[in-house]
Amino acid sequence: MEEILSIQNLSKNYGKIKAVDDLSFTVEKGTVYGILGPNGSGKTTTLAVITGVLRPVSGSYQWFGNKPGKWERKKIGSLVEIPNFYPYLTLFRNMQIVARIKNVPEEDINRVLGITDLLRRKHSRFDTLSLGMKQRLALASVLLGDPEVLVLDEPANGLDPEGIAEVRKIIKSERAKGKTIIIASHILDEVEKVCTHVGILKWGKLIANGRVDELLTTDRIVVMSAQDNKKLKETLEKSGLLKNLKEEDDTITATILPKTDPGEINKYVTGKGFTLTRLEVKKPSLESQFLKLVR
Amino acid sequence: MKNLLKNELTKTLNYSSFKVIMTLHFMLFILVIIVASRIDIAVPGFSMRNLFRFPDVWATFAWIASWFNMLLAIMIIVLVGNEFSFHTFRQQVINGLSIEDLIIGKGIVIFFIALYGVLLVFLSGAVSGIIFSHDFEFADLFSKSYLLAVYFIQAVGYMIIGMLIAVIFRNNSLSIIMFLLYFIFIEPIIRKFFSPEVRQFFPVKIISHLTPPPEVLTIASKKTIEGAAGGSNFDFEAIGLMPHQLPLLTTLLVAAGFISLFVFLIFQVMRRRDL
Repeated sequence: MEEILSIQNLSKNYGKIKAVDDLSFTVEKGTVYGILGPNGSGKTTTLAVITGVLRPVSGSYQWFGNKPGKWERKKIGSLVEIPNFYPYLTLFRNMQIVARIKNVPEEDINRVLGITDLLRRKHSRFDTLSLGMKQRLALASVLLGDPEVLVLDEPANGLDPEGIAEVRKIIKSERAKGKTIIIASHILDEVEKVCTHVGILKWGKLIANGRVDELLTTDRIVVMSAQDNKKLKETLEKSGLLKNLKEEDDTITATILPKTDPGEINKYVTGKGFTLTRLEVKKPSLESQFLKLVR
Repeated sequence: MKNLLKNELTKTLNYSSFKVIMTLHFMLFILVIIVASRIDIAVPGFSMRNLFRFPDVWATFAWIASWFNMLLAIMIIVLVGNEFSFHTFRQQVINGLSIEDLIIGKGIVIFFIALYGVLLVFLSGAVSGIIFSHDFEFADLFSKSYLLAVYFIQAVGYMIIGMLIAVIFRNNSLSIIMFLLYFIFIEPIIRKFFSPEVRQFFPVKIISHLTPPPEVLTIASKKTIEGAAGGSNFDFEAIGLMPHQLPLLTTLLVAAGFISLFVFLIFQVMRRRDL
């Protein structure tokens, strides 16, 4: 796989506070990499370093295998922290400025304003926009020139539910086009819904890194009950399909092993002569899992 | 480079404070020369009218224009300070400019504002010369027009000092206050600790002396002062009543040196600090 971004032992301090501490990871082409972490865990600092705004104290990073520079940044659509535009200029003029920096034809401005539903406000001053609309404009400028790589910092910030759904749709359609996307977020749900890979940050350190389906959703829990729960439990313990079996009230809860299909459990116990009165697969609360990871 | 220029034009020409300050600059300058051209103080041996005739008009108008250089410098402080407060320097780097591009962009703005100043002096000087001169001996028309180039360097110098202060303080009100304090109090006070020979080499002193008052005026005022003091041999230059007159070329070279130093410092400050 082609490496789009690779980071080696990156550190950044604000005075004595280590905002990013010895961070290393790589992002491969075509993946959606989520940087997940609570507030103040170093997500934005990491993005600010890789987009050229902050200089790292130590460590290095490469874009497209090259030493980072302005020509690399022109090929990346980035939204870092908050939308930054000239308040007194119209949306169109603000986008013109971005287009000229990125060497993108001005014709593309209408396309991206259309995607983000801002065409009607094309000639409004930036400072007349609501927070959500400012965020949409920032997204529009990210999409300008159809870049191969998108860097998004809390892209759903300030958006209404409809806006959040639209952002998700945009990210998914960019992903479908084979784009590489790096998203920082503190919302687990957002990362889980759109990312293929995730890195979890705490106090500037990477504490977990891997595929979303392995890292965040391995522990599915199954809740079952039958006529005779005790016997069912004994049978299941021998099956090798489940672990952590527990009998609670009138149900049995267990953790399904990652590769197990819940249908197999049903088939197995039916074969043993049980009739399940309940079989429910639950995903553990992602928040609780996230908290477990960052604790 | 072309896109850099276009972006600076979009940002600057659509900014209402820019339009207001530049209009103010234009109107103040025109107003002063109109008022000045109507004053006719009887100075023995000289006519005030000479100041508005070729070739003295270039010296007069460059000198008058220099009164308003502070306004141009404050304009640059505001334009640079805005980029920090809007976080747009930051955003432009994210989008694909280098730190050097940011500085060059503002350099382009400084160049064009100084060029506007020169054109203003040139056109108004030409009009005044045509109105007030009696005879148009061509050789003499432009003999002092090199002062336009000197004025250009002076205007650039003021604006570069403004930009240096703006990239250090990154805050409009603080930068403007520091700029004014430096010009009015800080440097003059520091100068007092040095000998008169050294004093004249301070940056503000040197840059503001690029366009000295027209000779006619200084000689006339020297005469007035000397007349009042009873013709003593008192050194008026030493006590600050009269400006020191370093040779123009020396002043120009030292000023250019300071400007280069400040440009170097702007690059250093911008490169060393996070945006």
